[in-house]
Amino acid sequence: MAAGGAGGGGKTYSFKVVLLGEGCVGKTSLVLRYCENKFNDKHITTLQASFLTKKLNITGKRVNLAIWDTAGQERFHALGPIYYRDSNGAVLVYDITDEDSFQKVKNWVKELRKMLGNEICLCIVGNKIDLDKDRHVSVEEAESYAESVGARHYHTSAKLNKGIEELFLDLCKRMMETAQAEERLKGNGASQSASSRRGVQIVDDEPQATPAGGCCSSG
Amino acid sequence: MMSQRRGIHLDQSELLCTKGCGFYGNNAWQGLCSKCWREEYQREKQKQIQEDWALAERLQREEEEAYASRQQRTQSQPAIAPFSKFEERKTKEKSSKVNTVTKFFIPSSKTPPKKDAAPLDTQSSPSPSSSASRHSSVDSDHATREFIDFLKPLKSGREIFKQCRAFTEGMVYKRDMGADELSECVQDFYQNLSDRLQTQFKGSSDHVESIMDEVEKYMMTRLYKEVFCPETTDDEKKDLATQKRIRALHWVTIEMLCVPVDEEIPEVSDSVVKAITDVIEMDSKCVPKEKLGCITRCSKHIFNAIKISKKEAASADDFLPTLIYIVLKANPPRLQSNIQYITRFCNPSRIMTGEDGYYFTNLCCAVAFIEKLDGQSLNLSSEDFELYMSGQASPPLPQATGASSSSPGSSALSQVHKRLDLLTGLGERQERVMEKARQMESDLIDWTDEVEQKVHSALESFPPETQITTATTASGTATATAASSAIDSDNVENELLPPPLQPQVFAG
Repeated sequence: MAAGGAGGGGKTYSFKVVLLGEGCVGKTSLVLRYCENKFNDKHITTLQASFLTKKLNITGKRVNLAIWDTAGQERFHALGPIYYRDSNGAVLVYDITDEDSFQKVKNWVKELRKMLGNEICLCIVGNKIDLDKDRHVSVEEAESYAESVGARHYHTSAKLNKGIEELFLDLCKRMMETAQAEERLKGNGASQSASSRRGVQIVDDEPQATPAGGCCSSG
Repeated sequence: MMSQRRGIHLDQSELLCTKGCGFYGNNAWQGLCSKCWREEYQREKQKQIQEDWALAERLQREEEEAYASRQQRTQSQPAIAPFSKFEERKTKEKSSKVNTVTKFFIPSSKTPPKKDAAPLDTQSSPSPSSSASRHSSVDSDHATREFIDFLKPLKSGREIFKQCRAFTEGMVYKRDMGADELSECVQDFYQNLSDRLQTQFKGSSDHVESIMDEVEKYMMTRLYKEVFCPETTDDEKKDLATQKRIRALHWVTIEMLCVPVDEEIPEVSDSVVKAITDVIEMDSKCVPKEKLGCITRCSKHIFNAIKISKKEAASADDFLPTLIYIVLKANPPRLQSNIQYITRFCNPSRIMTGEDGYYFTNLCCAVAFIEKLDGQSLNLSSEDFELYMSGQASPPLPQATGASSSSPGSSALSQVHKRLDLLTGLGERQERVMEKARQMESDLIDWTDEVEQKVHSALESFPPETQITTATTASGTATATAASSAIDSDNVENELLPPPLQPQVFAG
């Protein structure tokens, strides 16, 4: 539906991206860094960092990106489906110093693939690469896992502002490809909507025959 | 003229019209002429009609009131009901639908028992629904006018209006359809219309969006009564269940939910109150967009509260628990119905990608969480959770200060404790004061006795003549009493003192 809305104008895409991951892996820092280029800012001007938007221009196409942060606490895990419904992309964040958070990402991937199939673009993000000396999730393991589930893997650091720009740019390009492929598939969809449009036009003629009903409201 | 008639020797005044218009009257017309009779009769008839109307209305009102008292409704509604009924009928007739009136009322007359079940919510639940029913018809007329004004400058405005009106009126026939089908109809209509507008105003999607907003506003204001919480669904049952559930969870504290909000700060508690008000206000709005606006405002207040408490921008990790806390505290009326209504009839693009959509999704999450809430998600053992839920026990108060910031019940309790402490403290002080007072009293008595004794002894040791000498000195000091002069008399040096200055008058 969201992709349909994007395709309507033919020029502007709007995508919904959910941010998933355990608490304290740096989801919020990541997105704040991307949208407002801030990290641990003492002078807070942003009221919130849970819903952020960014306008992009990729190869001449306008893209409106809406990033939805989700509550990472375990107790809210069951609410995931409400958040990621109708989303075009998911950014799954883990902390490279925390093995458990990577496990959580694996759970999320399984769930997302089960619920949304291959329509959703997945990004697995190892955050906090500035703490590489404390690394507990090996690069090879993470990258091979990402490949096995059809996701891309990225290394980022919100603190050093590394890899974040690339991550979202890449994600947008992939989402655009998916949306375009979908549009091509739905080639017949346009004629269908045209026929239903005609249906509305038939209804359109009726009030002209009985204008008495609403004349009071217009006069 | 009169003199002419008198000339005929008949008592003409009997035959003439009693109104004195000069024409002959007739007994059958109460002595009036045909013209005056018709006038009089019309007025009479008109009056009769009006009286009948008034009577009918009074009867209807009485009937409504009787019905209302049977249903134990709140007082505000019956007074309003006839008026709204009348207004509704008028609008119905305007849109040339006849058999709708009775059916139309079933949802609104079904609501009262729900309110009985919610006595705790008295301040929130009756007013929005009654105001909604009162305003609905007025609102829909108003909405129509606004919509027309909005569309006037547009080239295709007339056509858009015709389509929307036709569709809205067509919806009335579809009332028996399931809610999902109705929703599909509306969504299809939105989709088709926006597609057409999209081709018409090439590229300017903002323009299309603003038109679609107005379309939604117009249509949903007119359809609100029919499609909000329809009978074909179990929305109402769900509303009741949620309301009951939230009430049963009254003991949940800020600490259990790990809400990062410190209500001790006045500005924060202010934001919390505003957030609660906004989420309750949602029920009083008719248009999905306005309902979403309430949720967004509520969310902004929450963010503000978190920001002040934590001194950093709020993330989703902070936001969701706080929203859950707010929903638990507010217990918004007809929460499920509102959520369903927005999901079914809001412009889909807004729910799915916009900021409003994000907050709405969070509200859905909060409700889902509250429904599934168990001991584990509050870090409690399941036994404790059961005990608290059944009301057999209440959670221990963390600390005197902590308790005041938790749920309203426990804060009231801690306040009572504080007051009691204060009272016992005051009692003790009172005792002490009384004791001291008694002691002082006895001291005073002792002292006067002592003074008396001393005076007596002094009087005995000195003969009366000394009293005279002291009296002369005393006359100098003017104010001294007999007793004090007796004491002064102990001072032998008194006599060595120079005589007091006498005022002297100098001539010139």
